[in-house]
Amino acid sequence: MKKTVCVLLALALMIAMTACVGGTSANTSSPSMTSAAASSETASSSSAAASASSSGTASSSAASSSASASDKVYHIGICQLVQHVALDAATKGFKEALIAKLGEDKVVFDEQNAQGDSATCATICNQFVADNDDLILANATPALQAAASATSTIPIIGTSITDYATALNLKDFSGTTGTNISGTSDLAPLNDQASMLEELFPDAKTVGILFCSAEPNSYYQASVIEGILEGDGLSCSEYTFTDSNDVSSVTTTACAESDVLYIPTDNTAASNTEVIKNIAVPAGIPIICGEEGICSGCGVATLSINYYDIGYAAGEMAYDVLVNGTDISTMAIQFAPKVTKEYNADICKTLNITVPSDYTAIAAN
Amino acid sequence: MIQYFASLNFMTLIKVLPGDIAQGLIWGILALGVFITYKILDFADLTVDGSFATGGAVTVMLVLSGVPTPIALLAAVLAGCLAGLVTALLHTMLGIPGILASILTQIALFSINLNIMGKANQAVSVDQYRLVLSSRFNAQAILSGAIFVVLIIAALYWYFGTEQGCAIRATGCTPSMAKAQGININTMKILALSLSNGLVALSGGLTAQYQGFSDINMGRGAIVIGLAAVIIGDVLFTALLKKRQNFAVRLGFVVIGSILYYIVIGIVLWLKMPTNDMKLFTAIIVAIFLAVPYLKERSRSSFSRAGRNGGTQNA
Repeated sequence: MKKTVCVLLALALMIAMTACVGGTSANTSSPSMTSAAASSETASSSSAAASASSSGTASSSAASSSASASDKVYHIGICQLVQHVALDAATKGFKEALIAKLGEDKVVFDEQNAQGDSATCATICNQFVADNDDLILANATPALQAAASATSTIPIIGTSITDYATALNLKDFSGTTGTNISGTSDLAPLNDQASMLEELFPDAKTVGILFCSAEPNSYYQASVIEGILEGDGLSCSEYTFTDSNDVSSVTTTACAESDVLYIPTDNTAASNTEVIKNIAVPAGIPIICGEEGICSGCGVATLSINYYDIGYAAGEMAYDVLVNGTDISTMAIQFAPKVTKEYNADICKTLNITVPSDYTAIAAN
Repeated sequence: MIQYFASLNFMTLIKVLPGDIAQGLIWGILALGVFITYKILDFADLTVDGSFATGGAVTVMLVLSGVPTPIALLAAVLAGCLAGLVTALLHTMLGIPGILASILTQIALFSINLNIMGKANQAVSVDQYRLVLSSRFNAQAILSGAIFVVLIIAALYWYFGTEQGCAIRATGCTPSMAKAQGININTMKILALSLSNGLVALSGGLTAQYQGFSDINMGRGAIVIGLAAVIIGDVLFTALLKKRQNFAVRLGFVVIGSILYYIVIGIVLWLKMPTNDMKLFTAIIVAIFLAVPYLKERSRSSFSRAGRNGGTQNA
């Protein structure tokens, strides 16, 4: 009994070894299925479709639908770092863009979530490479890095990433990565955000920048905006918290030492806006936020980008790569199409701040 | 429902296995480190969450500044040993309870890792640097990982057969008796913790290269994975090989436990379960794994057999 189990395990290991040595030339024909998020029972597109081979590899599939592009069903792998309103919106925009352009039955999404664990991103991307997906959407920086490491042939579209040069450690970055990676960035123009801060609070002398030390995107935005604000004569200090547990103590210190606070597009801060609001508003300290979600929770004003929009733009880029055959290494990183000045009406009223007329109020929901 | 099962493609699972095995081998080195502290020294060492990231941080920063990768890995091992040393000193010299000392070191290492990396996340691309292994080339990663594992198990087997190694085992088994026999248990604890965290840091360095980046939070939950691997290995070992086999086989099973853990994660992802529930399903599958041998054992014990066959008639 035990010996048979041992022999079976050894056999399984050997099959796995030959599978990986056999490598990318193996073909699978996988029936299409809808993404796990939706209920799978309603799938009408259960017809077997030949799996798409990854671009660039020389594998030939006997059943491949090379005859007409309209028969081809695209398999897209989506790797999202963590459940989060902004990231979820970007994924939604991406999916809707592709469904609108390709048709619902021509595209199959394999949506996976790493639950905030960056090591799981590597496992998920490994899955996509093994599945021979046509394209990978990497939502957030660790997902992009794991995808970049897992494959150099499958096109990777990134989204919700602030700076591709820092994420991929590229020197002399000019907008295109030159590899199989492109995508959209969630960076709102930082000098416009700095001007907004100075416009609303001309008497402020000290600015506190509050963010989570575990998020590289926040570091990048903090250092850039610090440079801009200090160039304009304000003194800045950084206040970092490690995770949700120290938010309140760090925020209290920050409020005690600053006139105004700035929070970049920080995932941890976005999950803790209630805590921040309960400290900053009684202390009378206004907060300028990097995006709408944080602003509606605890901020006064923001130069907002819409994560759905950048997800949608990423979907359009993906369509370009898949159907029009555009070379992804020449596609430049796109930024948010439009930015809106928004303010939080309730908090502005509590803090007696009047905003100029070109700001729109954030709709309460 | 049937559609769902029909849509699962077994070939995909086979193709995913190489990546899972590679990750399992790399994390197996971490499991070996956890085995040393948890099983041999009987010390709950939570420093691994911190020293794992330290290994990754040191490796990546050295590789980025042009140091050859093997030397960077060596430096990572030394950094891990230092971390283990700090925990051991906090425990032995300052008398802080073991688990608390390790938590203190873990907290401190968060800041230290941030200082090493300069920021929260640092990428190292296999295109730009010569890395020992990478997720892009899973076959070579398995080979490299296997070589590391075999060498480490051989070294550990030799070391724990030496006098010093046996002294460490005695300290873990019964500290008071070891002390009575003249073994300096403080020194033994320092040695074991340094060795263990050195291995964990090595695993962190290899993981950082495999996944192409080092992240400040990459060690979060590492102790859980390490313990799961150790216990899965232990359960498998007693289930498959009833008699007490030699130490090297036990160490081998620890690594096999880690590989199995990652295969389970691979299976859960392959099953395309709702993504929110991935960790729940992983836990359920691992729990079933661990429970089956225990339940089988209980049903086969002589008391339950007597109860089934005899009952009140034979009383």
